[in-house]
Amino acid sequence: MKKFLIKVNGNQYEVEVEEIRDGSAASQSVQVATAPAAAPTASPAAPAPAPAPAPKAAAPEPKVSNEVPAGAKAITAPMPGTILNVIVNAGDVVKKGQVLLILEAMKMENEIVAPNDGKIASINVSKGASVNAGDVLLSMI
Amino acid sequence: MATNDKLNDLRARKEKAALGGGEEKISKQHSQGKLTARERLEKLFDDGTFVEIDAFVETRCIEFDMQKKKVAGDGVVTGYGNVDGRLVFASAQDFTVIGGSLGEMHAKKITKVMDMAVKMGAPFISINDSGGARIEEGIDALSGFGDIFFRNTLASGVIPQISVIMGPCAGGAVYSPAITDFVFMVENTSQMFITGPQVIKAVTGEDVTFEQLGGADTHNSISGVAHFKCANEEDCIANIKKLISYLPDNNLSDPPVYQNNDDMNRVSVELDEIIPDGSNKPYDMMDIITRIVDNGDFFEIQKHYAKNIIIGFARLNGNTVGIIANQPNVLAGSLDVNSSDKAARFVRFCDCFNIPIITFTDVPGYLPGVGQEYSGIIRHGAKLLYAFSEATVPKVNVIVRKAYGGAYIAMNSKHLGADMVFAWPTAEIAVMGPEGAANIIFKKEIANADDPITARREKIEEYREKFSNPYVAAARGYVDDVIEPAITRPRLINALDMLASKRESRPAKKHGNIPL
Repeated sequence: MKKFLIKVNGNQYEVEVEEIRDGSAASQSVQVATAPAAAPTASPAAPAPAPAPAPKAAAPEPKVSNEVPAGAKAITAPMPGTILNVIVNAGDVVKKGQVLLILEAMKMENEIVAPNDGKIASINVSKGASVNAGDVLLSMI
Repeated sequence: MATNDKLNDLRARKEKAALGGGEEKISKQHSQGKLTARERLEKLFDDGTFVEIDAFVETRCIEFDMQKKKVAGDGVVTGYGNVDGRLVFASAQDFTVIGGSLGEMHAKKITKVMDMAVKMGAPFISINDSGGARIEEGIDALSGFGDIFFRNTLASGVIPQISVIMGPCAGGAVYSPAITDFVFMVENTSQMFITGPQVIKAVTGEDVTFEQLGGADTHNSISGVAHFKCANEEDCIANIKKLISYLPDNNLSDPPVYQNNDDMNRVSVELDEIIPDGSNKPYDMMDIITRIVDNGDFFEIQKHYAKNIIIGFARLNGNTVGIIANQPNVLAGSLDVNSSDKAARFVRFCDCFNIPIITFTDVPGYLPGVGQEYSGIIRHGAKLLYAFSEATVPKVNVIVRKAYGGAYIAMNSKHLGADMVFAWPTAEIAVMGPEGAANIIFKKEIANADDPITARREKIEEYREKFSNPYVAAARGYVDDVIEPAITRPRLINALDMLASKRESRPAKKHGNIPL
């Protein structure tokens, strides 16, 4: 995500812009609309098919998916911050204490380490994403 | 009865009382990996020093056939003895006697020995292993609990009180440990909870095991109720002894001084390189603490809870000190609800018992977030400010790196009455971090610049150069000296030596009103 300062008629606006990969913006928004569980703001939603969100709901970037493969243990963000670097890939075998990713928060590059030996089941965030405390960063088996 | 018969009768009575609930129940206790009350006391006290009192006390209850179940001693062993040569009072509940349940006379035994501990000014250790209130005794059992809680409160800040959970401790019984200074738990055999799994299942439908609900892991890492998690009872008793070694007998005496074989002028050059070059890189605060204290021996308390702050005891030149330090490795070392609670209570304990406080500060601020605000970070954070301000023991602060904003004030700053504040040259003492500050102060300049990104970077650097250092604070006397990290140990020992005669009086009052 990039931040721009834009001046219009002397008024200043801070604008956040994010590049959307894998397909057009339209297909992306449709995907979010039909899979509400994947949208970060819809986490407490009922399991029943959720009503299609208003078109505006697709606007926030799909930065975090809290979905975790069955049987995998989620590793969550201890505090709000920005993902500085994702060091491991899905499928990697990791040892306890190994650094998995770097979460920049509270003026610190916080190392998120593996709580135990295991295998990375999913990576739920990408470099540059901003996360809230409790968001799933990745999952391990 | 002839005199000789009377003697034999006494011996028989004592032998019977010593067996508690009988051999069968004792072997059941052993099969669960638990020692009996008497075995625990034997291990805790120096050989042959434990003196039991009230071995003949028994229940007065005659309801529900209680007179048939009664056993001399009434399910608790009380007395006094020496722990490493020092007088200590103790009670140990005997699970083999009516499940260690607490009735009127059982409680009276405990309160008697507590009163003695306060009168003699010696630590009190309570070993809990009880099914809870003895229902047959009804309101008299509740009265017994109340009497204990009342004495726990009166004794608080007068003598060190240590609770040891070596079996179940449920319902109202948990509140005695909760009032005392330290709670020890043993893995797999001890549980504490207000309402048990069955009640929870019936009321809320939640399925939870005893261990998940109130085991040693739970209370050491999630709830913060317990301070120590021990692998087994022997390990637990060893840790209790170690804890006592740091503590004074009471609030009018000083902690014992031990012979120190670690050079008081020892210089640790490794400390000069411990802070990473990038100020946003984490490191382990424990590496700093263990290089400074005597023989690297640091006795950590609540090591599994709120790990963003470290608390514990150590010695400097043989003298006990209480250490509070931010841990940059966890949550960036920020202060949050739990770490504030943990540190504030420890500061108050040290102040109660004449233990000088040393802080190692590297704190980026209070942890932001809706969850923290909703949990009351305002009132919890306030406890830390209150506790440091209130403490009149020698207070020394070493700012090793970040000390920003309100968290700087909270961490034993000069403004809250710290006696000596040292800073390492790596210290950054400022109202906020360079990034945030530059964005606010130089908002217009950055916005109007031809190249805002470069402008912002320059302004951040400018702010960092100007303010993110120890010299602004030192110029105002908020920092007493900027020191080379390597000489921190000798400087701390010197400061504590100077502060040994510290006297600080406060306005007379009944007591303050700490924001609980």
